[in-house]
Amino acid sequence: MSWKPKIVAFCCNWCAYAGADLAGISRRQYSPNIRILRVMCSGRVDPALILKCYEQGADGVMVLGCHPGDCHYLAGNEEAQKRVESVRELLGLLGIDDRRLLLEWVSASEGDRFARVTNDFVARIGELGPLGGGASDS
Amino acid sequence: MGVVQATLEESAAKYKVSNCIDCGKCTWGCPVSRRAGDFSPRRVVEDYVGAGNLAGDRGLWECMTCGMCTQLCTSGVEFHEFVREVRPSLRRLISPETTHSDVFQIIQNVSSFSHVKPRTNNWVTVDLEIDPNSSTLLFVGCTPYFDVVFRHLRNDLLEIPRATVRLLNQMGIRPRLLEHERCCGHDAYWLGDVDTFDRLAKANIEAIRATGVDEVVTFCPECYAALKDLYPRFVGDLGFRVRSATAMIGEAVKSRRIMLRDSGKTMTYHDPCRLSRHSNIIQEPREILKGMGGLVEMPRSGSISACCGVSCWVNCGASAKEWQLDRLREARATGAQGLVTACPKCLVHFSCAMHEHSGQNQGEVVPVSDIHVLASGSIRGE
Repeated sequence: MSWKPKIVAFCCNWCAYAGADLAGISRRQYSPNIRILRVMCSGRVDPALILKCYEQGADGVMVLGCHPGDCHYLAGNEEAQKRVESVRELLGLLGIDDRRLLLEWVSASEGDRFARVTNDFVARIGELGPLGGGASDS
Repeated sequence: MGVVQATLEESAAKYKVSNCIDCGKCTWGCPVSRRAGDFSPRRVVEDYVGAGNLAGDRGLWECMTCGMCTQLCTSGVEFHEFVREVRPSLRRLISPETTHSDVFQIIQNVSSFSHVKPRTNNWVTVDLEIDPNSSTLLFVGCTPYFDVVFRHLRNDLLEIPRATVRLLNQMGIRPRLLEHERCCGHDAYWLGDVDTFDRLAKANIEAIRATGVDEVVTFCPECYAALKDLYPRFVGDLGFRVRSATAMIGEAVKSRRIMLRDSGKTMTYHDPCRLSRHSNIIQEPREILKGMGGLVEMPRSGSISACCGVSCWVNCGASAKEWQLDRLREARATGAQGLVTACPKCLVHFSCAMHEHSGQNQGEVVPVSDIHVLASGSIRGE
């Protein structure tokens, strides 16, 4: 059985999740390796939630929110940025390649962008290999 | 050897639970009973002796295993060890309420995966003398993780390992570091997660043995207690010695191998439970403080020191914060200019209580610092 990347995508309710919807409605093809979790705001994604994904067997995690300045809650995405930075530090200490974590902005009108971001990230994780046994993490 | 789960009866016999004469000293001294009235070591023991079971008591997660009850017991009941040993079966019924969204439990667990190779040496600066061929190894512990999570409380946590290395350098010791050091597993052990502890202990012991060092030095009291007392319970003879950096530095200050400047300040010292009650290292840290000014004691100190209020990152709440503020008030009442501790967790807990919970109440504001950082800043130049 060949390995397929397992990826968790946290999508904010107002932009990224709507972007994913639009990608679907517009029949854009994107990789089926992601599991989308809808959250009200990207700023709600706690560092522990991201780490928990790796603990439970995810090979990569995406946090997708509104573009800077567009946050439904004014500055939630700035909070997300801070939190993702601290997770990057923790990943560094744990010896997990921080390319396995992606923070991107996708608006509700960017179905194309959602598909592209997702496909690029899945391809990246494909190159890095599985977290449990990939040679890239040290 | 390895993980063998004892039955309730075996644990009770091992820790002499039936010796209880119902005097209640344990509950009198218990920090949890003081702050949250519904937990009582005496009642847990009474229930066990009377009914023969513990009926999945949630209170058993409230216990901070600080060992005060065991210290005070005149009948030899080792209550905190008994609690620890019944926790693996309790886990299946009720889980502890973790703090900080579970992040430390997750870090601990991920750190135990064989395919993960942690690198916690991000704090090393060029002025520190590290020797990759040294016969002494410095076990760093989780302080680098605390630095990431608690930077908003204090941004000087990485100074603790740096200060420790500087002080060891003063004593002529140039320690080496493990390339891939995992969590020591202390919290997993005391929370009854024996499988995770077993994985961590074996991986760390294997990594340390592979370096061929004679001794391991730790500045964290929990790493010290884990490596020195807990690892041998699982694997027998370690093949290397474990020493507390705090104790070594204290002895060096006393014998004047490390000369400290008089800071002109009087400090008070909070004994971390793992260092004082669990490891009987009480005098050495006091030598350090006496060597750099003055030391004034709080009423609850030494082997009957008050606990810092939270253990193993579980069950922190309003009553725990109140307990910590009470301890800060106690420190302030001594007239000391600062509260000093030797445990990174105590440091984080008191800093949190002071910065986030003391409000307008300035009576609780007392500077909290780490003993290694303080001593390293007072090393007398040539």
